[in-house]
Amino acid sequence: MIDAIASWMLQFGALNWLGETGASLVAVALVGITLFIFVAANAIVLVYVERKVSAFMQVRLGPMRVGPMGTLQTVADALKLLVKEDIIPQFADKVLFRVGPWVILISAFVAFAAIPFSPTWVPADMSIGLFYVLSVSSVVVIGIVMSGWASNNKWSLYGAMRSAAQIVSYEIPVGLSLLAAVAVVGTLNLQELIQAQAGVGNLFHWIPIPVPNWFIFNNPFLFIAAFVYLIAATAEVNRTPFDIPEAESELVAGFMTEFSGIRWALFFLSEYANAAVVALLTAIVFLGGWQSPFPDIQGARIGMSVLAVLAIIWTFYVKVKANRLSIYPLAVTVVLAVLAWLFPAFAQWLANPGLLWIAIKGGTIIFMLMWFRWTFPRLRVDQLMYVSWKVLLPLAMINLAGVAIWMWLTGAINLVG
Amino acid sequence: MTRLNAEEMVLNMGPQHPSTHGVLRLKLKTDGEIVSHIEPVIGYLHRCFEKHGENIEYQMVTPFTDRCDYLASMNNAHAYAMAVEKLMGIELPERVEYLRIIFAELQRIASHLVAVGTFGLDVGAITPFIYCFRERETILDLFEMASGARLLYNYIWIGGLAHDIPPGFVEKAYEFLDYFDDRVREYNRILTGNKIFIERAADVGVMPPEVAINYGVTGPNLRASGVDHDLRRVQPYSIYDRFDFKTIVGQGEMGTVGDCWDRYYVRVLEMEESAKIVRQALDQLPAEGDVQAAVPKKIRPPKGEIYFRSENPRGELGYYIISDGSNVPFRVKMRSPAFCNLSVINEIGAGWMISDVIAILGSLDIVLGEIDR
Repeated sequence: MIDAIASWMLQFGALNWLGETGASLVAVALVGITLFIFVAANAIVLVYVERKVSAFMQVRLGPMRVGPMGTLQTVADALKLLVKEDIIPQFADKVLFRVGPWVILISAFVAFAAIPFSPTWVPADMSIGLFYVLSVSSVVVIGIVMSGWASNNKWSLYGAMRSAAQIVSYEIPVGLSLLAAVAVVGTLNLQELIQAQAGVGNLFHWIPIPVPNWFIFNNPFLFIAAFVYLIAATAEVNRTPFDIPEAESELVAGFMTEFSGIRWALFFLSEYANAAVVALLTAIVFLGGWQSPFPDIQGARIGMSVLAVLAIIWTFYVKVKANRLSIYPLAVTVVLAVLAWLFPAFAQWLANPGLLWIAIKGGTIIFMLMWFRWTFPRLRVDQLMYVSWKVLLPLAMINLAGVAIWMWLTGAINLVG
Repeated sequence: MTRLNAEEMVLNMGPQHPSTHGVLRLKLKTDGEIVSHIEPVIGYLHRCFEKHGENIEYQMVTPFTDRCDYLASMNNAHAYAMAVEKLMGIELPERVEYLRIIFAELQRIASHLVAVGTFGLDVGAITPFIYCFRERETILDLFEMASGARLLYNYIWIGGLAHDIPPGFVEKAYEFLDYFDDRVREYNRILTGNKIFIERAADVGVMPPEVAINYGVTGPNLRASGVDHDLRRVQPYSIYDRFDFKTIVGQGEMGTVGDCWDRYYVRVLEMEESAKIVRQALDQLPAEGDVQAAVPKKIRPPKGEIYFRSENPRGELGYYIISDGSNVPFRVKMRSPAFCNLSVINEIGAGWMISDVIAILGSLDIVLGEIDR
C-alpha cells in the first residue's frame, strides 16, 4: 500500500521533486498518521462503547450528559486528561517512568502495520505478518515492567511482576493456537491467510451444513483453537477475568497506580489498541478477515434471511423465557433481509469483501471481551498460571498435532512431496 | 557468594484502598504473593461513641448508634432501645414490636446485599454488586417513606418509633418482597455458581468452628463455620419467637465448611429467611396502635446495669449500660461484632495470597464505623 501511495504521488508533477525515496517516506508518514488517528479514535469510541455496554449489563444508563446519549463523554475525558497536572513521584526512576507508557503504546500501535483492513488496504503486506504482529505486541510487557518498576511503588511492582509472568505464559498458547491455522495454509502472510478463507463450503468439510470457508469451520481442531486463542488473548491483553496486573480491588490500579494525566491516557490508549489488535487478529485468522460470509448475491439474500429467522426464534425465546420483548435484533435483521431481497446492489455490497466485514467481526470479538469483563470474577495469580500451563498449553499442542493429522488424513498435504 | 536479599516485604494495604471496606489499614508481611502475617491497624474512624454516651442523655445516644454500623442503623438503634427499655421495664405496644422487626429484618437484607455485592467486587465481579445495590435501593426507599432518611434514620426510639408508617407502606413492602423472591436465584446464576467465583472462594480462608468461637466471631461468619448459633433463635428477644424461620448454617457445599464461599452463601440464604420474617410480620401486623404510647416522658432508668445482646447483620451486638439514676448514662459500652470478626483475620488469612486476603476480608463483612466506634 505504501508503494501504491508513493507511485500515485509521483504521478503528480508537483510532487516529482520528492524522488522515489522521498515519496516513500512521505507515504510511510501518511499511513502512520492515519493509523495513529485510527488508534486514538478507536480508544475513544471503545471507551464509550465499553461504558455503555457495562451500563446496559448493569441496568444503568451510562454516560448521558455530554453530547447526544453521552457520545462526547470520552472526548471530554480525554481533554481533561490532557490538561491534568503531570505528576512524577519524587523517588521514581524518572527516565523509565517517562519511557514506559510510550513503549507500551508504540508496541501496541506498530502491530497495526501488518493488519489487512481490506483486500487492498494493508499498511505493510509482509510475508511474516502474523509473526510480526505477535512479536511486536509482546514488547508490551517490557513497557509494563518498566512503568511498574519505575513507579517505586510496591503495588505497581506487584502489578508489573504479575503482568510479566502472565503475558510471557500466555504468549505460548496464543502462538500455538495461531500456528494451527498457519499449518493449514502454510503461510504467515495475513493477506494470504485471508484469501485462503474465501467462499462457502461444508462444516469441517464433511458435515453438510453450508458455512463460510473460515478457518474456525475448517476442521474441529481449528474450531477449538479459535477458542483457545480467544481465551489466551484475553489474558494477553490483561482483560477480566485475567486482569490481575491491574486488579482494581487488589492492586488499586497495578502498574498504572502512580501515573496521571496524559501518561495514564497513554495506558488507556494502548489497552484498547491491544484489544483491537487481538480482535482483528481473531477475525483475520479464524473468521476470514475481510471476507464476506456470503459468496454472491443469492448467498447474501439467503444468509440474511437465515439470520432474520434466527432473530425471530430468539425473540420468541426471550419473550417466553424471560417475558421480555427484545425487538432490536429482530428489526435490524428483518430490515436488512428485506433490503437484500429488494435491491440486488445492496446484496452485492454485502457479498463484497471489505472493511465492513472485518469491522463487524472485530467489533463482535471486542464486544465479547467486554461481555467477559462485566460478567466474570477475576482469577487468582496461581489459578491464572494453572489455566495457561496445564489447560491451554496442552490443548493448544494437541490441537496443533490434531490439525496436522487431520490435514494428512484428508489429503490436503502430501507427506511424500 | 553473595546472598540474595530475600527478606519479607511489608505492604501497607490501606487506609486508602478500594477493598478495605472503609478506612482500615492492613500491614501485610509478604513473601512474593504469599502473605505471612496480617496486622490490622484500626482507629481511623474513631468518633468517641462511648465517651459521647457518658455525656448525653439516653435518647440522644440513639443517633450515635445509627452512625456506628451505618449499614445496619436500624438494628443498632433497635438493640440500644431494647437495652434501655429492659433497664426501665417498659412494655411496648404490639404494633411497635412488629414494625421494629420489619425494619430490622429489611435492614438485615439491605446489609447482606452490600456484603454479598462487595464480596463479588472483591473477587473482581463488578456487575453483581450493581444488582445488589439495585435491590438495596428499594429497601432504602421504604426506609425513606417511613423515616425520611436513607442511611441514618433515628427511627427507633426508646419506647417506640419516631412516626407511624405512612399509608401505602405495607403494600410497598409486599411489592418489594414479591420482587425480591426471585432475586436470589439471579445472584446464584451470575455469581454463586460461577466456576471462577467458586475457584476463588471455596476452600479459601477456612475458619474452623473452634477458631471462630475462640476469637468471639459471631453472626453469619460463625454460622458459616457450622455453629448453629443465632440469638434470634437461642435467646429470642423482642418477638422473634413468634416467627418461623431457619437458622442458616454453612454446609461446605463447594469446599470446606467455613470457607469464604460458605460465608458468602450463608448471607445469601439469610436474606431469604429475613424476607420470610418480614412477610410474616407484615401479615400479623396489628392495624391499630399508637407507636409512641410507651415513649417515656423522661428517660431516667433506675440505678443498675444491663448487658443486652441482639443479632445484628454482622453478629452479636451487645450494649452494656450502667445507669446511676440520672438522665445521662454512666457508661455505654458497645460490644461490636465486626471488631471481633476482624480480629480473626490473621488466624485465617495468613499463608494465603494477597488476592485471597482481599477475599477473606470481604467475606468477613466488616464495617469500620462499628469497629472504631
